Amino acid sequence: MRRYTLGIGGREFVVDVRELDADRFEVAVGEQRFEVTLQGDEDLPDARVTPALPAVGATASAAPKATPPQRTVRPRAAGSSLSALAAPMPGVILELHVKAGDRVERGQAVAVLDAMKMHNLIGAPRAGVIAEVCVAAGQAVGHGDTILRFGD
Amino acid sequence: MDGNHTLGLLMQGLNHVTLQSLVMIGVACVLMYLGIVRKYEPLLLLPIGAGCLLANLPLSPLLAEDGMLRVLYDMGIRNELFPLLIFIGIGALTDFGPLLENPRLVLLGAAGQFGIFLTLLLALLLGFSRPEAASIGIIGAIDGPTSIYVSGLLAPHLLGPITVAAYSYMALVPIILPPIMKLLTTQSERRIRMPYSQRQIRRRTRILFPIVVTVLVGTLVPFATPLIGMLMLGNLMKESGVVERLTQASSNEIANAVTLFLGLAIGSTMVGSEFLKPSTLAILVLGLVAFTVDGVAGVLFAKLLNRLSGGKLNPLIGAAGLSAFPMAARVVQRVAHEEDFENFLLMHAMGANAAGQVASVVAGGVLLALMGAG
Repeated sequence: MRRYTLGIGGREFVVDVRELDADRFEVAVGEQRFEVTLQGDEDLPDARVTPALPAVGATASAAPKATPPQRTVRPRAAGSSLSALAAPMPGVILELHVKAGDRVERGQAVAVLDAMKMHNLIGAPRAGVIAEVCVAAGQAVGHGDTILRFGD
Repeated sequence: MDGNHTLGLLMQGLNHVTLQSLVMIGVACVLMYLGIVRKYEPLLLLPIGAGCLLANLPLSPLLAEDGMLRVLYDMGIRNELFPLLIFIGIGALTDFGPLLENPRLVLLGAAGQFGIFLTLLLALLLGFSRPEAASIGIIGAIDGPTSIYVSGLLAPHLLGPITVAAYSYMALVPIILPPIMKLLTTQSERRIRMPYSQRQIRRRTRILFPIVVTVLVGTLVPFATPLIGMLMLGNLMKESGVVERLTQASSNEIANAVTLFLGLAIGSTMVGSEFLKPSTLAILVLGLVAFTVDGVAGVLFAKLLNRLSGGKLNPLIGAAGLSAFPMAARVVQRVAHEEDFENFLLMHAMGANAAGQVASVVAGGVLLALMGAG
């Protein structure tokens, strides 16, 4: 389960998202619970947020940076975020090929993930400079755990 | 005269060297080469090669009435003990979690057994008897112990070539499957991403699964009871978590010792007079056909499921519906990753692969039932 703490118009909302299946989520906002079906998942960097938000600032401590209008919850999946790389499945990080400050190209192998006793090369989802490597070699990771963040 | 007699006694080894035995020693060397140098299933091919070599030396005492190889054969192959002991170890190593997360994948395991039955028909057309044809078809299970179990009951005289074919093709999964997968799928199909399912499987479900499958399969296909029973016993021990020592022993010490005994005993059946026949070549070719058809049927069936699911299922995982666990699943992941480095199908492929493991055992039981074996 993942908890998002959102500050909207000065009020704080705690949203708990539990993945029931690949495209089904249980979302709890305060006392209310919803079962949400994910209809689509794509990056829309130029998408406008609808409906237009009032002028007051909205901040999110753990939420992804853009929310396409057609869905309620954005899942965490490898390569789907432009700002971070997430583990595509549970396993153990065997090797890390990069460190903070390194510049990588899209597809460049950045880590080796051991899952079901298979060594899986994890490639960078985009070109950029690594701001932070969030895991260490030998560390167990779950699906969606952040492996590294980009700084640009 | 006495001198000649003494000389004859001393030279009787050389006197019994035959062309057949020399050829079989060559075959033994090839098997050992494949295991040692090419790393093709070395745990099996090295002992099989050694057993074959020892059995084909002139007047080999190891094959005499109380010879070691004969004893091993009688204690573990004739009565099917060895493949069943190995199945406990396989069960202790198999994670059915991905299959439990996505039970629909069981269909792919069923499709991956199609080659068995097509090859059976082909073998019948080529003049093999029904039990022989069924034993050859089971090579399509791509599962060594199942092949040994079924052919040991139905056609023990073909055990050598069938076992060699089963294990050789198992080792060739990474070479034979990818061209089939690429030929039958489009690039866009191979790039279909399947989101990772994070459904948590309760411990109770994991423990009940082997018990329910044993009762279900054992009732529906009684001939599969020994195989499925031992496979699921190993899995029950693993999932229960309360007999760690037994789980470790089954998947390590026992499996290793039995693998050595099994390999030597199978190798000892490969004596020239039995092995050097046209039927051996036919078995090797038919085994390859069975394997190929399994892969083709699996991928084609997955394509059908892809259509039915509205394009959400990557047809590549159909190729994992074989029994070669977890090698087939890894090959699927490798091919998908080559097309799209952000595509991770491994867990789905593991589910199909685990289904293939169970399905091949069931297919073996169905064959035994059809042949009226007891």
